Amino acid sequence: MSGARPARPRPRLETAAVPPPAPERTGDAGAVPFLLDFLPLQGERDTRLARFYERLKAGRLSTTRCRRDGTIAWPPRTACPRCHAAELDWVDLPSTGTLYAFSAVLGGAPLGMEAEVPFAVGLVDLDGVPLRLFGRVVGRPWTELAVGEPVAVESYSTPDGRVYYRFRAGASR
Amino acid sequence: MTGRGVAIVGGACTDFGVRPLTWAELAQEAGAALFSAVPGLRAEDVDSLFVGAAMPERFAFQSHVAPLAAEQMGLRPRRLLQRTELACASGQSAIRSAYAAIASGLSDIAVAVGVEKMNLPSMAEANTSMACVMDRPWDGPAGATAPPFFAMVAQRHMLEHGTTAEQLAAVSEKNHRLANTNPHAQFFAKRFSREKLLGLPIVAPPLRLGDCSSMTDGAAAVVLVADEFLRRFPGPVAWVRGSGQYSDFHNLANAGSLTDWVGMKLAAREALRQAKVDVGELDLAELHDCFTISEIVEYEALGLCPPGGGGRWAADGNSELGGTLPVNLRGGLLGCGHPLGATGIAQAVEVYEQFASRVPAARQVRDPRWALVHNLSGSANVHSLMVYERGEAS
Repeated sequence: MSGARPARPRPRLETAAVPPPAPERTGDAGAVPFLLDFLPLQGERDTRLARFYERLKAGRLSTTRCRRDGTIAWPPRTACPRCHAAELDWVDLPSTGTLYAFSAVLGGAPLGMEAEVPFAVGLVDLDGVPLRLFGRVVGRPWTELAVGEPVAVESYSTPDGRVYYRFRAGASR
Repeated sequence: MTGRGVAIVGGACTDFGVRPLTWAELAQEAGAALFSAVPGLRAEDVDSLFVGAAMPERFAFQSHVAPLAAEQMGLRPRRLLQRTELACASGQSAIRSAYAAIASGLSDIAVAVGVEKMNLPSMAEANTSMACVMDRPWDGPAGATAPPFFAMVAQRHMLEHGTTAEQLAAVSEKNHRLANTNPHAQFFAKRFSREKLLGLPIVAPPLRLGDCSSMTDGAAAVVLVADEFLRRFPGPVAWVRGSGQYSDFHNLANAGSLTDWVGMKLAAREALRQAKVDVGELDLAELHDCFTISEIVEYEALGLCPPGGGGRWAADGNSELGGTLPVNLRGGLLGCGHPLGATGIAQAVEVYEQFASRVPAARQVRDPRWALVHNLSGSANVHSLMVYERGEAS
């Protein structure tokens, strides 16, 4: 191999004023080895979608919208899945939705999640956008959940500083 | 169909179950079984090998498994050697790769073998391996695995169509009962009444243990041959007449309807069109019953019954031997177990042996001509289908 590869222009993903992500690598102190850990590394050195996690840390679930054809994609992208344009903007997603389907893991959980059993998971139609996201459902046991009930989107942090989203069902129905 | 004619001239399965042996030993056992089952097969004639293996890196801490399998089976491939990975459809992927290679003229005689060693000392580690089939950084952190996903399919099916737990149990009872005709099956000689199945523990509501296929160690292999080499293998053959595949999403957010498997409809249409055969002409089908609800939705995607009617269709006995279309006569994934890479090949072995009238009378279809094999993979986001026709080499 010889010669330096020419620098490829990186797509501009950011239009909103969001503080830049911390430069240090995240997630090295997880409870399970990296390759058995479902939560990915989230820093700017790890992924071009570090902004997603930075915004989530600030409580904003967001994704990318194509500047050319308006496609809102999930998961967030670095190129539009429809027109392949690289000019994408971050957009905040609604913080409420409706439970479309749910189940629960009562056994057979992956490493690192055994202590959380039993836990509920579900697909949630976000209010006002054509997105149905999968996620953990907390707030009430699975035996008390119902298809069609409203849920809220929230973010949570792991002890090593990584972040993700989940859904919260109301305290009582 | 284009290119040269391609036919399966024989195959073999190892015992499926919790086996006290390694990945390599499974491959070796499959090789020995194959050479015993196909008397005309000579190792030096096999020019290519395709190895269906979903996760040997995870389950056996072994990569580069194609040459390992070749060595274990006593083969020295000189044209095409590769592993095929398509999660739960890795085995069929090996067969369709061999088919493509032979049809194109790059190979004349190829072996497709599927091997999976899934039972590990740590169940949590095995579950982690299964979970990495899903979109790991996006769906994984929530705890996405196959059981809760297919449980949501069942929940929506019950909600939209009134499907019942009893109808799910009817599928499970059928496949477990049929597995009693198959000494290789994980649940051979084990009886499950509908009542017993409905009392088993819930794994992911509404799915109970009997609604889910198992973690299974197993291997299977078939030989595929170009038409001009068939005279070396006199006897019945299974012609590959059609194949279809469709992939329409990966992340669960992009699944669309959970109960209407559009990708399977498209893949089935393509496979049947190539074979110039109608679904009503099929004599048997091997459908991917990783969960009871899967088999029910698959009946509907094939147009065997109206949308939403799959539960009743099963409970009424349409998929039994002697019914409208016998489905999963060897016992399915529910009864045989589901060693990911081996499943698609074990299904093809069943088709071949049905064509050759070599299965026990309790599950033998009379004079079968057309068979369909279906595998889904992951969260039913990929569908792979093949259509076979019985023939005779002379």
